[in-house]
Amino acid sequence: MKSNTKRIIALLLVIAAVAAPLAAQAKKYPTKAIEVTCLFGPGSAADLIARKFSDLAQGYLGQPLPVVNRTGGGQAIGYNYVKNQRPDGYNVIWTSNGIFTAYYQGNIDFKHEAFTHIAQVSYEPVSIAVKYDAPWKTVKEFMDYIKANPGKVRIGNSGAGTFTHLTAAALENEAGSRVVHVPFGKGLAFASLLGGQIEATIQLPSEVEGQYKAKQVRILAVTGADRVESMPDVPTLKESGYPLELILWRGLAVPKGTPADVVQTLVEATRKVVESQEFKAFAKTVAIIPSFKTGSEFQAFLDQDDKTNAVLMKQTGTSNR
Amino acid sequence: MEAILQAFGAALQLKVILMMILGAVVGIVFGAIPGLTYSMGIILVLPLTFNLDPLAAITLLLGVYVGGMTGGSVSAIILGIPGTPSAAATCLDGHRLAKEGKAGKALGTAVFSATIGGLISVLILVVVAPIIAKFALKFGPAEIFALVFFGFSAIAGISSGKVIKGLISGMIGLLVMTMGMDPVMGVKRYTFGSINLLGGVDVLSFMIGMFAIPQIVEAFATDESAIKRKLDTNVSMSFPTFKEIKGLASTILKSALIGVGIGAIPGTGGPIAAFLGYDQAKRKACSDEPTLDCVAGPEAAHNGVTGGALIPMLTLGIPGDPATAILLGALLIHGLKPGPLLFQENSGFVYGIYATLFIINILVFSIQSFGIRFFVKVLDFKKSYLYTTIMVLCVIGSYSSHNNMFDVFTMFAAGLIGFFMQKFGFPVAPTILALVLGPTMEDSFRRALILSQGNFATFVASPISIVFYAFTAFVLVSQVRRKKKTKKA
Repeated sequence: MKSNTKRIIALLLVIAAVAAPLAAQAKKYPTKAIEVTCLFGPGSAADLIARKFSDLAQGYLGQPLPVVNRTGGGQAIGYNYVKNQRPDGYNVIWTSNGIFTAYYQGNIDFKHEAFTHIAQVSYEPVSIAVKYDAPWKTVKEFMDYIKANPGKVRIGNSGAGTFTHLTAAALENEAGSRVVHVPFGKGLAFASLLGGQIEATIQLPSEVEGQYKAKQVRILAVTGADRVESMPDVPTLKESGYPLELILWRGLAVPKGTPADVVQTLVEATRKVVESQEFKAFAKTVAIIPSFKTGSEFQAFLDQDDKTNAVLMKQTGTSNR
Repeated sequence: MEAILQAFGAALQLKVILMMILGAVVGIVFGAIPGLTYSMGIILVLPLTFNLDPLAAITLLLGVYVGGMTGGSVSAIILGIPGTPSAAATCLDGHRLAKEGKAGKALGTAVFSATIGGLISVLILVVVAPIIAKFALKFGPAEIFALVFFGFSAIAGISSGKVIKGLISGMIGLLVMTMGMDPVMGVKRYTFGSINLLGGVDVLSFMIGMFAIPQIVEAFATDESAIKRKLDTNVSMSFPTFKEIKGLASTILKSALIGVGIGAIPGTGGPIAAFLGYDQAKRKACSDEPTLDCVAGPEAAHNGVTGGALIPMLTLGIPGDPATAILLGALLIHGLKPGPLLFQENSGFVYGIYATLFIINILVFSIQSFGIRFFVKVLDFKKSYLYTTIMVLCVIGSYSSHNNMFDVFTMFAAGLIGFFMQKFGFPVAPTILALVLGPTMEDSFRRALILSQGNFATFVASPISIVFYAFTAFVLVSQVRRKKKTKKA
């Protein structure tokens, strides 16, 4: 009797041992870590948000989401890497408007269609910053100045063909005159603004909030549909009479051909993260606006954004298409 | 006074001290291992800071930063392979001293000078940060170009007497640096349709390859049993004597000031400072023999950068170098916006940073003086094991800089180039110098021209630029004179 019990227990243990891996195999996605490719370096805005996102998403997906920085080549290296991975949902790209920049510059030969987009996570407007003692108090005054001095006003941006460059180009169109676009690396445009080498610079709100509050710079306008929470007295471009709405969106995508149920799992996890209190609180500290958009709504938005980018990049001479 | 005492009180909490030690150790290890840099160390510990209070968090990151800057000298001197780009200049004379059996002295001098350099930079940060920040803003693209142009004059000093060959090496560096997308308009240069080349050549991987591979080849090509061990295996660190310190004092002070200045100018950083520090020490030495001055110079300079780079970050919210850019992001996560407001609203926190920086420098000094005796034990390993391990570390290091296998191939290709350059008597240091300074030079040159709308007069428009061109002329003329003198003698 006793030995029988032992045998049964032994048998059960064997069955359990054999069945465990099988059960694990049958377990739903994700069963291992999901790699998130970030196209910008550590400490960059993209990187910080991606890291916070993956930290929170781990709670909903039950697997870690390590962020890997694959920088360089005007984002070509990272986009190409993820596009060529197996479409099994274990390689995700942390994407943005930058994909259009990379495409129209000719760094990559595919656009957003090469990926299945999971969802938009956040967006942020940019701000038009001038020195605090600059003569222009409003966008209108600044635009009039641009108009009166064609080819004289120097506006800093974060690189040729980037979102900040295109924003300045859109301003040119509204002013009906030309400006000098000066591409800078990270953080340097701002130093040159304070040093008086440029007249204005296009910056993310998070980059200028401190200096704005300390009255070192004046923000003439922000480019989104709504005012920015941390700068309540700065008007939007629309309020100032210029019908422009330009935002920098961030979101997730996976290689085309990823199974629908995997995509759905990621969409749900993303929704939960974006709607979580913790992400909202974090968004406030880095001055981004959490905004969840998926499916056909996101797709339509992307197609529209693609067209806007195509026009502006042609105008700035940064398009090679 | 009370504020300072409070700051030290805050900095001496157990939690903060633990973070300092952890940060310093991580930094030193990352700095010392070829291919792993303090930037990677900072990224590694970044997630740990999310659950800490702001002062403990920034302390951890600063510990890695300062530790990493200093740690690079260990492998540079003992193995002849710089742990970080900033240590490339230390490698030049430091490793030669080690080969002469003076590794202990060289290490002691390096650690000592780095600490003094760091402390001087903290002092300047505390006392005159706002003034320096204001002055640093005067450095527009044209001025930065002039500064980097001056930096290139260091080629004469680091070519170990072979100026023509040194210039050729420098050109190789510039050529390699032009590969990839140009920084201003995104034009593709020498990419041969390759996506990987679009990203350009990774400086870190290239540098490791150039320094390490020839060393490894040499190590395996020589019969270990037949030759007497050149490296001194019984290295014990010995600090410079009081007399030596007196001799080094002017070099350390000058280099530290150079470091602070370079650090404070946004868009420059450690390697530039280290090469300039080396150059001025070399000129003082007036001979091609390796001297302790030439170890002290670069070490004091790049550690001077640590405090210097924090000047624009804390006062203006503009990072002074790549590492402080990561620090800035980390502070943002904690809801702190570095910049003028930080001083007004949170001056206690700023004083806390000063106090921790001060303590970190001393802590790094103690950890290194204690730890080097263990590190030098690696020299007791059989060479075949030691260099195989180094090879593995080089591969890991070059891969991890961008998580891209291509950088590993870059490392090997650079190794081949470096090997043949050394075989034919071309110094490799100018290549590294050109690789490090080249992108900044090109960037600022073209940006200056965009700003002036194509007018070349912009380069001589400010007194700052003219001073740097004058320095350059002075260095070149004095080099030529020296050369003539030595020829006559």
